Amino acid sequence: MDARVVEELRAVLGRDGVLAERARRTPYEADGLAFARCLPELVLLPRDTRETAAALRVLAAHGIPVVPRGAGTGLSGGATPVEGGVVIGTARMRRILALDADNRLARVQAGVVNADLGRAAARHGLFYAPDPSSQKACTIGGNVGENSSGPHGFRHGSTTRHVLGLVLVTPEGDVLDLSRPEHDPHGYDLVGLFVGSEGLLGIATEITVALLPLPPLVETMLALFRDLDSACDAVSDLVAARLEPTAIEVLDQLTIEAVEASVLAAGYPKDAAAVLLLESEGSEAEVASTLGAIEPLLRARGAFEVRRARDELERARLWAGRKGAYGAMGRVAPDLYVCDAVVPRTRLAEIVRVTIAICQARGLRVANVFHAGDGNLHPNIPYDRRDAGQLARVLEAGDAILDAVLAVGGSLTGEHGVGLEKIGAMGRAFSPDDLDAQCRVRDAWDPARRMNPGKLLPVHACRETHTRDPRGGAR
Amino acid sequence: MDARELVDYAASLDCIHCGLCLNTCPTYLLTGVESSSPRGRIHLMRSVAEDELQADADYAEELDFCLLCRHCESVCPSGVRFGALMEHARSALEPVRERGPLARLARRAGFDLVLRDRSALRAAATVGRVAQRLGLVRLAARIGGQRARGLADAPAIPPAAERARLPERTPAAGTRRSTALLLEGCVMPELLGATNRATLRVLAACGFEVHVAREHVCCGSLHAHNGEASGARALARETLEACDARSDEGGTPLPLVVNSAGCGSHLKELAPAFAGQPDLERRARALSARTLDLSEALTRGPGAEGLAALLARVPTPARSVRAAWDDPCHLLHGQHIAREPRAILGRIPGLELVPMELAESCCGSAGIYSLLRPADARRVLEPKLAALAASGAEILVTANPGCQLQWAAGVRRAGLAVRVLHLAEVLDEFVVSVARPATAS
Repeated sequence: MDARVVEELRAVLGRDGVLAERARRTPYEADGLAFARCLPELVLLPRDTRETAAALRVLAAHGIPVVPRGAGTGLSGGATPVEGGVVIGTARMRRILALDADNRLARVQAGVVNADLGRAAARHGLFYAPDPSSQKACTIGGNVGENSSGPHGFRHGSTTRHVLGLVLVTPEGDVLDLSRPEHDPHGYDLVGLFVGSEGLLGIATEITVALLPLPPLVETMLALFRDLDSACDAVSDLVAARLEPTAIEVLDQLTIEAVEASVLAAGYPKDAAAVLLLESEGSEAEVASTLGAIEPLLRARGAFEVRRARDELERARLWAGRKGAYGAMGRVAPDLYVCDAVVPRTRLAEIVRVTIAICQARGLRVANVFHAGDGNLHPNIPYDRRDAGQLARVLEAGDAILDAVLAVGGSLTGEHGVGLEKIGAMGRAFSPDDLDAQCRVRDAWDPARRMNPGKLLPVHACRETHTRDPRGGAR
Repeated sequence: MDARELVDYAASLDCIHCGLCLNTCPTYLLTGVESSSPRGRIHLMRSVAEDELQADADYAEELDFCLLCRHCESVCPSGVRFGALMEHARSALEPVRERGPLARLARRAGFDLVLRDRSALRAAATVGRVAQRLGLVRLAARIGGQRARGLADAPAIPPAAERARLPERTPAAGTRRSTALLLEGCVMPELLGATNRATLRVLAACGFEVHVAREHVCCGSLHAHNGEASGARALARETLEACDARSDEGGTPLPLVVNSAGCGSHLKELAPAFAGQPDLERRARALSARTLDLSEALTRGPGAEGLAALLARVPTPARSVRAAWDDPCHLLHGQHIAREPRAILGRIPGLELVPMELAESCCGSAGIYSLLRPADARRVLEPKLAALAASGAEILVTANPGCQLQWAAGVRRAGLAVRVLHLAEVLDEFVVSVARPATAS
């Protein structure tokens, strides 16, 4: 990187805000998509909107590509740096700027950790609904970028439903304040457009989110099955019966083994081939009626045990175990490829079977732990990125799974985003005209295409050429 | 040197980079810099081993910046043993890293001379006290600039009278319920003799006949944490010899009671120091198994009975005092002890245990870290000082000498009206010294 640029950036961000040393840049070379790696030229850590804007102005003047990054927990390579580019991280933007309990909203800096916002809201009897499994680390800004969801998305929806306003910085470094007191915006819903735009339109620096009142009662139920198919079919039945628990999760045996071997051991039964983790919230009567109606459906599908968490402690442990499942898979292999796709909920069992067959045919292990209620599958494939042959098989399996999902009318991503990972499948999910329309939206915001280039929208669709596997493959 | 040998490569592969550690890491919370987080540091170690990164000064700095508090281990679903990884990386780097002649001299004097020899420790304390009394330390700190700033933050060394050693053998007060060996520690007698004597009185009052291995100097935990693996091994050996030589009438080796969380944690993980020496490994494992933190010794077996009998003799005072417990990292994250000290404090008449936020995170003491990196140590403590003030506690209770000194300095700086006491001192003051005499039975 040109020393002059570094000096200009230091002038606006201070010395601590610009990481230029190789050792300090190295850990930013990848996010949760571990095999895709690229060393950024610089890492910038602004502290607020003003600094972010000043930095983006410098970068715009020099035509330098920018990759935004929250906590680097994304699984689709959304924060993988690009050749010759810099990373702008939000880790020093961790302030909760306002928490207005009476109006049930909070205004936070982009780097506020999801769980920290949850803790702050809880002091006022409120909660922030989107709860990605990485919520103890991931940031609200990252959640906005990926339109993240989580187990409770079944009832509460994903991030876009909870974002009321944004302050964002455009690729040229202009500040755009899209926070408004009223819920329904005048003109285009630009906030709605920005949420889930995967860092292609700018960087959100301040986010106003809705908070919900903590329910009077929450109950968590476990249902144990002898096979994964029955658990999936039970979920299809629940959804068809229009029952509305807040979360419906499936965990298979390999996942449970990993979780139970870890510090997050929660008492998940090791003798079940699949466990359904269900939750219901509301008044005592609502919870009793929902869970009461669910239980016979589960038993009819072969649940051999249905039990409820005894107390808040057990409930918390069950969820911590579920949400730590990704990390616990580190006991199986050094890396984990987490597919993310959504299928019609009437066809859960069928597609899960297909994903397992696809992995087995390639000599890969697979753990299934997913947001079943949403039809949001997460086949987890443990691998070792140092083994190029194995990595190739993992990517092939990922592609085959997406094809199977698209064939039944499913969608490419439930909550992880397209990023680098699924960019190759975009051409299979969308027509050239669709992609072209999306590119024109991007070009309206970022004509120079410097923001997170090579992610979300395939470059060929933007009438450019690409010469290598966009995912980079093993280095 | 082969880059692979600079880190425990196999162990570095245990990290699946999920990031659940980030929010627990004091240095990441301070800086927001990934390479100052556990996930980032493991990434650096792996990059060094895979020859992607030079083990340069920036790499060394990130290793040094780590407090080794091991909070990350407590939340790691993948089971990464970060403390062991870091100790290994520091030790492997030490011989090849660049240090100035003065820093090298100070390290060698500290680790090879002072911490290895009781009379050198005594001499250092005496010289240090004189220098502090004459204001020479402040002067040196001013002249020495950035690198000598730790000197000014160093704890005041008590007068010689307070630096008395513990006796070889102390009988139980009243009925003898058990016999234990108490780890006197290396710097404890010089800096915190009062805490040691309080520990002794508490143990004796709870029915322990207390032995002290007066020839023993140091367990080596400071060496192990600071990249001095060979010194740590030598001291581990000396510790084994000293402890194995003490047994009860029946020939069973005495349990070792420790009032320093850092030493206790190290002693409970002693076996790896003797890898490849099966006999010593076995003895080390046996010593680890009979090593007890003071809070454990008083909540199980004869110690628990002794404490219960003692508590029964404590009158309820008119006014109660609010106390907050701060988990020493090497007690909570190193030894997974959280319930025992709270249970003890909760049972003391006249003591109201109040919760304190951030109790499970590091205070910045981290062994000799607060001397080596005083500015960072202060910044780590800042949010906890605010949490202490918000808790309303009048007494801050800890169970590790370093934490005790760090908190005392912080409370003084912040001007808080809070006393900082070791668990043993709380028991000594609020239980032992006010208990009614035992009625002859």
